Amino acid sequence: MAELTVVKNETQGQKVANTIFGVISNVVLWIFSLSCVFPLVWMFYSSLKVKREFNRDIMGLPKAPTLDNYHRILSNTDYNLPTSMFNSARMTIMSVFLIVLCAFVLGYILSRINFSMNKPLYIMFLMGMLIPIHSLLVPIYIIFSRAGINDKWFTLLLPYLAFNLPVSIFLVQGYLKGIPTALEEAAAIDGSSFTRSLFSIIMPICKPILVTVGIINVFTCWNEFTFALILIKSTALYTVPLGLKQFTGQFTSDYPKIMSAMLLTMSPIVIFYFVFSKQIIKGMVAGAVKG
Amino acid sequence: MYLNSIKPKMRVIVAYLAIPVVVFVFTVFVPLVAALFYSFFDWRGGPNKTFNGFVNYSQLMADATFWASFRHNLFLVVMCIIGQIGIAFILVLMINSKFVRCKGIHRTFGFFPSTISAVCVGFIWTMIYDYKKGLLNALLELAGKGDSAIVWLNEPKIIMWIVTIPLIWQFIGYYMVILLSGVAAIDTEILESAEIDGATAIQRARYIILPLVKNTLIVCTTLCIAGNMKAFDNILVMTSGGPGYSSMVMALYGYKVSFEQNNLGYGSCISVAIFVLALAVIGGSQWLMNYLMTDKYDRAEMKMLKERDKQARERMKALRKAKKGGN
Repeated sequence: MAELTVVKNETQGQKVANTIFGVISNVVLWIFSLSCVFPLVWMFYSSLKVKREFNRDIMGLPKAPTLDNYHRILSNTDYNLPTSMFNSARMTIMSVFLIVLCAFVLGYILSRINFSMNKPLYIMFLMGMLIPIHSLLVPIYIIFSRAGINDKWFTLLLPYLAFNLPVSIFLVQGYLKGIPTALEEAAAIDGSSFTRSLFSIIMPICKPILVTVGIINVFTCWNEFTFALILIKSTALYTVPLGLKQFTGQFTSDYPKIMSAMLLTMSPIVIFYFVFSKQIIKGMVAGAVKG
Repeated sequence: MYLNSIKPKMRVIVAYLAIPVVVFVFTVFVPLVAALFYSFFDWRGGPNKTFNGFVNYSQLMADATFWASFRHNLFLVVMCIIGQIGIAFILVLMINSKFVRCKGIHRTFGFFPSTISAVCVGFIWTMIYDYKKGLLNALLELAGKGDSAIVWLNEPKIIMWIVTIPLIWQFIGYYMVILLSGVAAIDTEILESAEIDGATAIQRARYIILPLVKNTLIVCTTLCIAGNMKAFDNILVMTSGGPGYSSMVMALYGYKVSFEQNNLGYGSCISVAIFVLALAVIGGSQWLMNYLMTDKYDRAEMKMLKERDKQARERMKALRKAKKGGN
């Protein structure tokens, strides 16, 4: 009898311990995840304040919400924010399109076609993945200015394509491993050309991985700062991170203004993220783990 | 799995491969070779450059600022491995507890910071650290410790800690989600049977979950090391390497030397050094992780297998020799 109660007490003790652990877990997790989105919320309501109100009370909600800050950054042509958003959008769409297309074609050829240059090319892209890209910062500037192609509308396409290609190719290759070759062979017997099989048979099958590749690259291209900083000089070609960089030093005293500029330029990507968060997280994790 | 029955014409393959391969070589390999070439010159960006042999390299060896930047990179790597992956692992254990609700929300919110640009993160934290209007000092004020408020970004002694916190914050959720995918792959039966056998939560974490997510942890650590060897934009926005050089990192130093002092020859030399050092750190850490993750039984077994292979090869050799001799 005595033994039984001991056992019962133990399980009860464990239950209490588990409950405490559960409560702590919940609290810690909520603190963590709220701290991750808090800056966004804080920036949003602070951007509705005027500078003086913000300086008086940095935490409080705005008493008289105003869109004044947005009005000012959009009407002032010096900041070039709409232009930089347009540039970023253009660059992102073009780069992602090219990356997905090239990664698909290269990944397919490298994993299915047996020709003499196959192995060397594979090793070349593998090496491309290992190279620390920030060691290319200075030399890429030198080469691009020698070739006269820095500070053009297409300049950033080259590094974005080249740096993101290796991982994307490996993702496509990994996906193709799970797809039998019988399909292409049947298509070939039926008289389909290589190009036709490639785009009308293989491409639809690879759609999930191509979407993943696209998602990963939308974020890297939209947020890329370092190479844009080095290769782009004229304000008319600034991308979003460069446009925001202008705000350092110059307007450090006017926080609500910086906040509204940041929110405005972040908005497309933030909306994209919160709408498709599940697929985006899945895609980015797959890219990180397999790449 | 090559296609054997179909072989498109070489012309077609070349047509498909040419453009991307040329772009890739032009933007990745040509600059690398160029950096090596220019690193032997004294070149200030003008039309004239003079060959000066290894002068840049000996200058680099003696350059205290560069080696301090390298140490800062290593500091970032170590702190981020501990901070990001360590905290992420604890959060994963918590999120997997059956008392936790709203897992999807935690995942979505936690992952969010890693999707915004480093420039934005830098700005956000500059505002948090600001002396007069910063959140941090406001919180200190609220806690009644207003007099310990300082200009956070202006303290050479703690500046590396200060710039590391935003980096850690930004990517905890990222590693949390990656680790979650690793933990999700663990068979729940193993955990349940351990629970029935009376293993506590901590024991389960240490002896079951940790060994089973080993590979995912290796992936995270590799990502973390590679990511922090190229730290640049966050720090450029927050401190631009200052005050003085106390938060300088390698890539930022190379950038400043090349574009602010216009010393492209020496900048190329630094680029070569970044290339070598980053590869060495990443390669070395890979080796170290493999060493740590395999215990001495694994190693003994590997050794035995290698020995057996060697013996087999020798026996084959001897056999072949004997055959030749016989003929």
